[in-house]
Amino acid sequence: MWQSIHKGSVSVEPAIRQFLPPCQVQCPINEDIQRTNVLISLLPDDLELARDGILQIGDYLYEKNPLFTVCGYVCGLCELECNYLAKGGAIRRRLLKRFISDTYTYHLNQKEEFNLVKHKENVAVVGGGPGGLMCAYDLSKRGYRVTIFEASDRLGGALWLIPQYRLPEKVLTSAIDSLVRITGIDVKYNAHVGEGKLTLEKLVNEGYKAIFIAKGTPAPRILTFGREKVEDQSLSGVMYGTTFLYEVSHGEIKPNYFRGKKVLVIGGGNVAFDVARSARRLGGETTILCLECEDRSSKDRIPADWEEIRGAWEEGIRILYSRGVSKVIGESERMKKIECPRCISVSDTTGFNPQFDLSDTITVEGDILIVTVGQGPDRATLQADNLLDEKGSLALDPLTLQSLNKEWIFIGGDLRRIGFMADAMRDGLTAAESIERFLGGLDMKEGRKREYEAQDIPRRAHYLSEPEVMWIPPEKRMHFQLFERGFTLLEAIEEAQRCLTCGPCVSCKACLSIGIQESLSNVEVNKDRCCGCGICVSVCNYDAAQSKEIETKRISTTDMFKCKSCGMCVVACPSNARKLVGDNMEKKIEAVYASL
Amino acid sequence: MEKYSPKLVCFSCKFGWGYLSDEPALASRITNWIPVICSGKIDTSHILKAFRAGADGVLILGCSEGHCHYQDGNIQTEKKVLLLQKVLETFGIEPERLKIRFSVDAEGKSIPLLINTMEKKLVKLGPIKRL
Repeated sequence: MWQSIHKGSVSVEPAIRQFLPPCQVQCPINEDIQRTNVLISLLPDDLELARDGILQIGDYLYEKNPLFTVCGYVCGLCELECNYLAKGGAIRRRLLKRFISDTYTYHLNQKEEFNLVKHKENVAVVGGGPGGLMCAYDLSKRGYRVTIFEASDRLGGALWLIPQYRLPEKVLTSAIDSLVRITGIDVKYNAHVGEGKLTLEKLVNEGYKAIFIAKGTPAPRILTFGREKVEDQSLSGVMYGTTFLYEVSHGEIKPNYFRGKKVLVIGGGNVAFDVARSARRLGGETTILCLECEDRSSKDRIPADWEEIRGAWEEGIRILYSRGVSKVIGESERMKKIECPRCISVSDTTGFNPQFDLSDTITVEGDILIVTVGQGPDRATLQADNLLDEKGSLALDPLTLQSLNKEWIFIGGDLRRIGFMADAMRDGLTAAESIERFLGGLDMKEGRKREYEAQDIPRRAHYLSEPEVMWIPPEKRMHFQLFERGFTLLEAIEEAQRCLTCGPCVSCKACLSIGIQESLSNVEVNKDRCCGCGICVSVCNYDAAQSKEIETKRISTTDMFKCKSCGMCVVACPSNARKLVGDNMEKKIEAVYASL
Repeated sequence: MEKYSPKLVCFSCKFGWGYLSDEPALASRITNWIPVICSGKIDTSHILKAFRAGADGVLILGCSEGHCHYQDGNIQTEKKVLLLQKVLETFGIEPERLKIRFSVDAEGKSIPLLINTMEKKLVKLGPIKRL
């Protein structure tokens, strides 16, 4: 079994400008996806023997992303840009990470605390969601003493809104509990910063030198029609999606709570689908109504992920596309039915501005109405804390996340812009870097704009198709247990082998870290020998060997950003003009031949 | 007369063969073994030089089809081997003396066995006949 090391020359450092595999560019925190894929592909095929390797891969992921065990269940942003999409299906990286997660979660609970020397300033983090946790984690590793002020009685923020059939509770609690334990982060629960006496200024007086605010979006957006609030949203039976999901995750809603009830869910985002699929699992006859249309090529297409829509459809949830809600009609204080005109356009050049055809209005009956049309931040507190500009937007620098009104405040996560879990985590990392620069009196912006270019798909003779989706059949998944089966070890190895490893070696270094490669050699072209024939260009699978006009002569060059040092161009060159500098294969061959 | 023992040079791809093994320990059991990062790095000149240096056979172990870390290195080398076998034949060197095999063996345990099997065939062929 190999031992992977990630110190010194074999570690992967972010660079200002770099070619990366598209998955890594797409990942908001730029995880070294290719490296972990390569390592998984080289695991032994026996789970007992592979365990050590899985933990090594997990430890590596953990350094950069202490919430990776959760990401493996809920994120798959990297797959959206995988080069393999066009050639047989994206590499199922989320399931590969979940595979590591399933073994690592148990290990995590016993993982040793980091040996951190916290000799730097006190920093407060307001909000214990993924953004706040990430910021606290990174700052703790940098030596700051961090306290998280969490408004509720548990950390995790909006992650608790993810239904358990997608993210098991034990994975989430283990990730969160371990994170604060391993890095020694102090947490204050039920701490409502900005309310009553616990003001931001008070935190400063208590010795916190900088504050990262990532309080999320606790305020559900209410139902509107033609810029007016839809009346009767206070009827019994009307509720908001996030409140509903929160109660489900707190175990406050009994099984079969909606049995025999017609549940109407308003909204077309992923949260609306989480709500609908949860309501379905509680026995409700569920219908989703959304403004957007089914046509995925339209500008007004439904924003939810295709997998969510398919899952809901399989589970017997009815979806009514292109419908708004103009009226909620009740009967003796209970919600009874809604009137739904046809939506003919959702947005125009001014942004969200739905238009309706009132002559085409249908009435939909329901016992429960769950409004899930988005959520927003708590504006009143932000206003009172003087964190908004005159237009009512957050006054902050988007690159550094530093407040323009109070330089010791940094703001991120959903509060700044609603996004995916990993988007909030990136904000946490950005804020941590900013806070270190701010407290150290360094330049806030220098060298922070990174330009990553995605490497194209490499050429190869055969592409392999993706593995089948492994969902439990709909009739057997009407519960809150996981509905998707994870990879077995053999499936994980096979899928990891399918990865095209399109990124350049410097962005991966997996081979170096386990010692099957000694160094990454550079390809050198002898200009005098090169005749410009272009054979190297035709054999290079990565577009690294290129033909260029230099001083009136056509010769070949190598783009070192793209080169993988595979040596195929060296072998193909008919004039012996190409050489791998620092490669000892020739020496090894000579030594063996001399001994014959 | 002394018993003829053929000299076999074996190249193997590191991504397919022996990546879970303790390479130095394995190397001590295999003579004339040259692990390379990709079989695609092996040039025809390397193979010809082996025969010139006195080898009786060359065995190339590439990773399994569709699994080359560098996309197509194994297939490129297979092409070279097939063409080179024809060339060797015209010089009186039997094509069986050059062999390529695609598979995966993480522990590398089968490498000595494969070498042994090929060596037995080389014994039957006898030394290379100098034309």
